[in-house]
Amino acid sequence: MVSLFREPMPGKRRSSLSTNKKIILLAVLVGCLLVITPFLGIVPVKLRDVFSASPAQFVFWQLRVPRALLGFVAGAILALAGLVCQNLFKNDLATPDLLGISSGAAAGAVIALKFNIAFSFLGARGAAVFSFLGALSAILFIYIVARLIKNASLYTFLMSGLAINFFYSSVIVFFQYLFDLSDTFSLLRWLMGGIAVSGYGEVLFLLPLLVLFLVLILVFNKEFLMVAAGEDFARSRGLNVAAFRLYSFLGLAVFVGSVVSICGPIGFVALVVPHVSRSWGGGRFPATVAFTLLLGGGLLLAADLLARSLAPPVDIPVGIVASLLGAPFFLLLLVAQLKKID
Amino acid sequence: MIESRGLAYFVGKRPLLQEINLLVEKSDFVLVFGPNGAGKSTLLRVLAGLLQPERGDVWLDGKSLAFYSKRELATRLCYFPQSDEFTLPILVEDILQAGRYPYRSLFKKFSPVDREAVAGGVEEFGLQGLLGRNMQTLSGGERKKVLLASALIQDVPLLLLDEPLSFLDPGSASHLVRRLAGLRGRGKTIVVVSHDVAQFFPHANKILALKNGRQCYFGSREFSRELLQEVYGVAFQRAYAGKKEILFVDE
Repeated sequence: MVSLFREPMPGKRRSSLSTNKKIILLAVLVGCLLVITPFLGIVPVKLRDVFSASPAQFVFWQLRVPRALLGFVAGAILALAGLVCQNLFKNDLATPDLLGISSGAAAGAVIALKFNIAFSFLGARGAAVFSFLGALSAILFIYIVARLIKNASLYTFLMSGLAINFFYSSVIVFFQYLFDLSDTFSLLRWLMGGIAVSGYGEVLFLLPLLVLFLVLILVFNKEFLMVAAGEDFARSRGLNVAAFRLYSFLGLAVFVGSVVSICGPIGFVALVVPHVSRSWGGGRFPATVAFTLLLGGGLLLAADLLARSLAPPVDIPVGIVASLLGAPFFLLLLVAQLKKID
Repeated sequence: MIESRGLAYFVGKRPLLQEINLLVEKSDFVLVFGPNGAGKSTLLRVLAGLLQPERGDVWLDGKSLAFYSKRELATRLCYFPQSDEFTLPILVEDILQAGRYPYRSLFKKFSPVDREAVAGGVEEFGLQGLLGRNMQTLSGGERKKVLLASALIQDVPLLLLDEPLSFLDPGSASHLVRRLAGLRGRGKTIVVVSHDVAQFFPHANKILALKNGRQCYFGSREFSRELLQEVYGVAFQRAYAGKKEILFVDE
């Protein structure tokens, strides 16, 4: 079907060996990180504890391993969502968090939590369904802006994203105000963005979504490439851009909504990772996707490890660390882009 | 080939195009010109099926554009946008391969025909050295060349080009003009919007003059100083360089 290696092209071909080697190296590195992080933490886990009945065994298998897996899966989905979003808007500042999609998802999840909506729909949890609806409502805002302002630029969308973010923040604070105190604390904790879980329920919910997301991106890699080259370019080559964009946004709402419903709004992964991956991928889309997947997962894992070890025994939510590191990066990126425009 | 009758396009209540009647036949070379804001780009986008006209219709090979699927349309015509800015890194070879998109289905691999078409475009435009390059790092002339090659790889009979010479140095510009003229010789139909009337006129067999969204003239009339004056609303002077006539704005 789709391989990471390009179709052979006629004529001289640039060697892509180094890029493929980089991907493998990164995969090994992230794999090592996945294996090592569950051993590290306040309660040290030794190798022999892993297979013998002990409290450490419980910590290892029920807390740390699912946490590491969730970190990887959530980071990868968020990063891929960022990549897709950037291609759709053909700009690397367009990410689900900056456009307000993530905060829409968060508001949806908060409403679900507030009213204790714990139904299950087609195997999805109530909070995830509400997150999806919240993300969808934010996307509706984006469509309205696009409809009202013909030829809206990215900056229009970023500004409207700002407004959307404010709006959903108010929605969240409003419901938070209605919560009682103990609930408010757990809600606040969730809003900071965390991947502390016990058991495999969350991982088993998100992992198939990651696989699906990845398959969709690779199947539609030609289309994502063409929209990144510009709407006129893509339409002139026979792509129904409006329909493709709509389906992509629906997909984004599902994937971003699912992650946010579990981990809370974790910012900046979607911004930083695809940006770095693009320069590593050197314009090759499949390679960029591979880098985004590995780097997104690896970065959130590393950030979580950092969050756990910054001030032991306090377990800082990973979202805080991600934002602490991501916000300055975003600023740099913004300055670089504005300089280019001048 | 492509025909429009009573074409009109509005933004809100403001008309950008009114009463456009065109008949472009196979292997015509049509030059569209007119002052800024005359509706040239809008017209091209309507002809390309990118904008839906409010009134009137566009027929391509006897069938209204509205009845073509997007893919089908992309095997008949290719539109060349005025701006070709790339804000994300994209490889030249991906841009070229996109030319085969209308012929491919979701899971269909690149066929030998597709490969041959791409190779042909690469060969013709001498793009061998650029294949692995990022579009963002190319010069304006190189970028235009790649995009034109991509349109040729798409193998469409009708090319609609919006200001293809913008940002090109004189050498690259005349090179591109000659290339387009050569394409016409191979049976392609070309509609080009340009202010650079002097470059294109010797090759065009039809001209369309637009002013304030209306057509002042369409046909194969001899291109003249009077027509230019009427369309642009400024006086032109004539000079000769050898046998070549040069028109310039009289200040």
